[in-house]
Amino acid sequence: MGEYFSFDGGVWQRVVAMLDYDATSPLTLTTGFFLFAFLIFGMGYMVVRGRATLRTLYVVLFSLYFYYKLSGIYILLLLGVAFSDFLIGRGVARRREQGRGTRGLVALSITINVAILVYFKATDFFVGLINDLYGSGTLDWESVVVPAGVSFFVFQSIAYVVDISRGVIQPLRNIFSYIFLLSFFPKMFLGPLVKAKDFIPQIEASRPELSRDDFGRAVALITGGLVKYGVIAKAVGMLFVAPAFGGELGDGGLVALLAIYGFTLQIYCDFSGYSDIAQGIALLMGFRLPDNFNAPYHSATITEFWRRWHISLSTWLKEYLYISLGGNRHGAFRTYLNLIITMFLGGLWHGVGMTFIAWGLLHGVALALHKMWLRFVPRAKAVGSDMHPVSRIFATLLTFNLVAFGWLLFTAEDMTVVEDMLSRIAYNFSFAEFDALVKGSGAALIIMAVGYIMHALPRKVDCGVVRGISRIGFVGQALLLVVAIWMVMQCDALLAVECGAGGGLPMYAAF
Amino acid sequence: MKNTDYSRRLVWLTLVVCLGAVSLGLIPSFELFGMTIPKVDMLSSLRDEARGEDVVEYEADIARLEEELAALASPVEEAVDTMPEPLPVRYEWIIEAEEEVEHVALRSLDVRPEGVVVPIEDFDTLAFTRYQRLIERLAAGEDVRIAFMGDSFVEGDILTCDLRDALQSLVGGRGVGFVACDIPFATVRKSVKRSSSGWTAYSVMKPKSTPEALRDRFFISGYIADGGVGATTCWETTSQYATLEGCTRGRVLLYSRDTSRVEVVVNDTLRQEFEIAGDGSVREIYVEMPMSSLRLRVLDGSVLCYGASLEGGRGVMVDNYSVRSNNGHAIFGTGATVNRQIDEMLGYDLVVLQYGLNIMQQGQRGYSRYRDQLRDMIAYAERCFPDAAILVMGVSDRWVKGDSGSYEPIGSVDALTSYQRAAADSTKVAFWNTSQAMEALGGMPAFVSNGWAAKDYTHINFAGGKRVAGALVMALRQSLYDYLVVCEAEAARREEEARKREAEARQREVEAQQRLEEQINGIRPMLDSVDIGVDGVLSKVEE
Repeated sequence: MGEYFSFDGGVWQRVVAMLDYDATSPLTLTTGFFLFAFLIFGMGYMVVRGRATLRTLYVVLFSLYFYYKLSGIYILLLLGVAFSDFLIGRGVARRREQGRGTRGLVALSITINVAILVYFKATDFFVGLINDLYGSGTLDWESVVVPAGVSFFVFQSIAYVVDISRGVIQPLRNIFSYIFLLSFFPKMFLGPLVKAKDFIPQIEASRPELSRDDFGRAVALITGGLVKYGVIAKAVGMLFVAPAFGGELGDGGLVALLAIYGFTLQIYCDFSGYSDIAQGIALLMGFRLPDNFNAPYHSATITEFWRRWHISLSTWLKEYLYISLGGNRHGAFRTYLNLIITMFLGGLWHGVGMTFIAWGLLHGVALALHKMWLRFVPRAKAVGSDMHPVSRIFATLLTFNLVAFGWLLFTAEDMTVVEDMLSRIAYNFSFAEFDALVKGSGAALIIMAVGYIMHALPRKVDCGVVRGISRIGFVGQALLLVVAIWMVMQCDALLAVECGAGGGLPMYAAF
Repeated sequence: MKNTDYSRRLVWLTLVVCLGAVSLGLIPSFELFGMTIPKVDMLSSLRDEARGEDVVEYEADIARLEEELAALASPVEEAVDTMPEPLPVRYEWIIEAEEEVEHVALRSLDVRPEGVVVPIEDFDTLAFTRYQRLIERLAAGEDVRIAFMGDSFVEGDILTCDLRDALQSLVGGRGVGFVACDIPFATVRKSVKRSSSGWTAYSVMKPKSTPEALRDRFFISGYIADGGVGATTCWETTSQYATLEGCTRGRVLLYSRDTSRVEVVVNDTLRQEFEIAGDGSVREIYVEMPMSSLRLRVLDGSVLCYGASLEGGRGVMVDNYSVRSNNGHAIFGTGATVNRQIDEMLGYDLVVLQYGLNIMQQGQRGYSRYRDQLRDMIAYAERCFPDAAILVMGVSDRWVKGDSGSYEPIGSVDALTSYQRAAADSTKVAFWNTSQAMEALGGMPAFVSNGWAAKDYTHINFAGGKRVAGALVMALRQSLYDYLVVCEAEAARREEEARKREAEARQREVEAQQRLEEQINGIRPMLDSVDIGVDGVLSKVEE
């Protein structure tokens, strides 16, 4: 025990070095460093939480430090966006009061923000394209490092200015409150995106409120999030999906199909797990972030899927892109077109490339077809809960497979991978592979099955678990979290042994 | 329900969770359903072993490499009349020496392998492979140059000195090959005596302490020495092996950013000055005369020197390029241009990649990341040395101290070896299973008990290196033998065919002769009667 707690002389030097930004180990909510930093943060937070101004300032400072540890110098970009839209927002409000047009200022804000996004997301693609066309070396360009969470704060900033121009909210008077809105550390990296309308009252509230049930829900969110993100997604991804896509498990069709289903689970657990942790941590501090996922693979239609998957982004796309394009106000044809354009741009946002475009178009076309179906088939239902149980099961399976096919497009490096995987499923499928598969990847398949079973449980069970956690008392809750942390660390250690690499960033960090 | 404020619990919960998470490190590792549940350590990044101060991990950038090499292949096009006189790449100093170059062409009898042979697996499925070409050159007694890249396993010329001696004894060639000019730490090498002073040496493993301008100037040797006026290095042959002596060629590899002057002294008696034109490309000072020592001294300006090669005769050269704690990734930190330029001077036929000891973790079974890295290393080496075959050596046997205090196998040698073989397979290069060869010799415990390896059960010493080199030479001999047997069988077949053809030709000749005679015999009575007729006419005329 003594040996465990004894350190050599260089320990302080290492602690100090750790406080600085290190590009090789960005700070996320699931690192040990964050746990200790949050403890220190929490002590101060207890003191200031009752005074709105002081609390805002304190959280902003910690959030900025968090962003610095995550993205280094790009903290200046975050501050730049915050200042520019804070000022533009005030300008928009003043012109609104005076009854003058606000289009120019809104356009300015959107131009700045979209320019930032395009620069960080598309420069590499265009440089590559030009070098392909005119010979390598035509443009001498170091590839662009995308700052963590840039899309998230840029989207929220656009929404803030647009909301002011639409008269939904009043502009903030205090710049710190605005930086708070953009940079609140739990949601900094991967969202969820918050709506200014819902979040500003929480920032300005005199004292955050937290009931026993809230506290229990926060613990449940963090625990569940850790298991989903740190155990299921990582284990399924690294033990099965990556080797299967890499061709290490042979070229059978069954492997290919299971790999696609594996990735479908992986991306859900990875992204929603991290979102849940963010939501839980915010809730511990008394802030309510919106739900980002709602059992998405329970969806019986593609329309329902987009109401359950990455809800904050799909809401954003709907409110600020689809509605701005005209939404459903210009007749049926324009509605379909707008849906397709919205999803096309949504795909493009994930990355400039054929696979993402195909993914966006797939969803856009599917949404448009479903809209059409709803229009022309009188008994068609928009969501599963309105359907007959049998048709609901059938529709859910259909939607699930459509979405899974979408994920294949989404994760494939290029279209040849898609082609290869599909042809394996079509022409090289045999259940005889199953035995060998169980022998080689049994553990990963069991974890995958557990993940899907957990996902398949009805919402009532979830609510029951949350209620239970609220009632097990403080010690039980702490123990639960420690066990979850232990599981994540064990999984990391196991993956380091099996795959030579553990941990890593959330998958969605790339977007 | 009463709305109590639970937010104070935030700190208590975080505190207890922190303490709980830290105490997880006190749970020892245990077994569960046959699986080992290891100990976890929340504080690992505070401990010493977690960080290496200056060492970085290079990543492969094959695209950049291609660009660099493409630029090298097609220099900026300029109008011919404005092109300046090309700078000399090679500075020669040749004193005609009457050297008898023995030409050794091998026969299968000379190379018949003995004992247990762990063969080299050549994954290139094309008919005429680079590895096959290497074997052909060796068999024909042509010049063959081997770059042996490795880690501390071969530091100080362990293994390679015996490999060199064995190959040179077999097919000819003399000399220690390439030796660095200066390196930033002390090493002992019995196969050469090197003394240097006045240089500042840099290592590819520590780019942060290397000046910016030199970072892309490393050769696969891993070290570069920067010397001003007075900096000097002397390379001297030793008599560790007979094949190390009797050198007749010395080649110093260096470059100079601005024009500088150096002197080269051979055998402490003959002296020559060279003015090195200022340019970024690597230059070679080529000295040809009998020599036992070669000294370089900077007289004016400053010079960046890689090292020198001492060699002689015709046959095999083995250059030892060991870089401590390198798992192979350091090749990505070397300059593609430099590698290619030096390859054009020395002409490599084989690049050996001996790595893996530094990434092996106890019990680790998956090395897919390393396999991918190794593929990139192979691709990198293939592009820098376009005529060379690549031989990947599997990781060597290693044992570690277990919980009970006694040594046990590290348990990941076979796994890493299979990933290394997979990398060789997918890149179609050759592979040799080092650990299997060591096991055939008794494995690491036998190496330690025989005094062939250090007590760390990881590093072999010279005696161990001799055994491993012996096994590698046997593997090469097997390849040579297989090739020569086929060649000799082919030659015998051809000879037999030729003999048969000759016999057939002779037979045909005889038959033709016979046919001619028969034909003549066939028309003889007619001729005779014509004869008689003529005689009759003649006699009538006479009458």
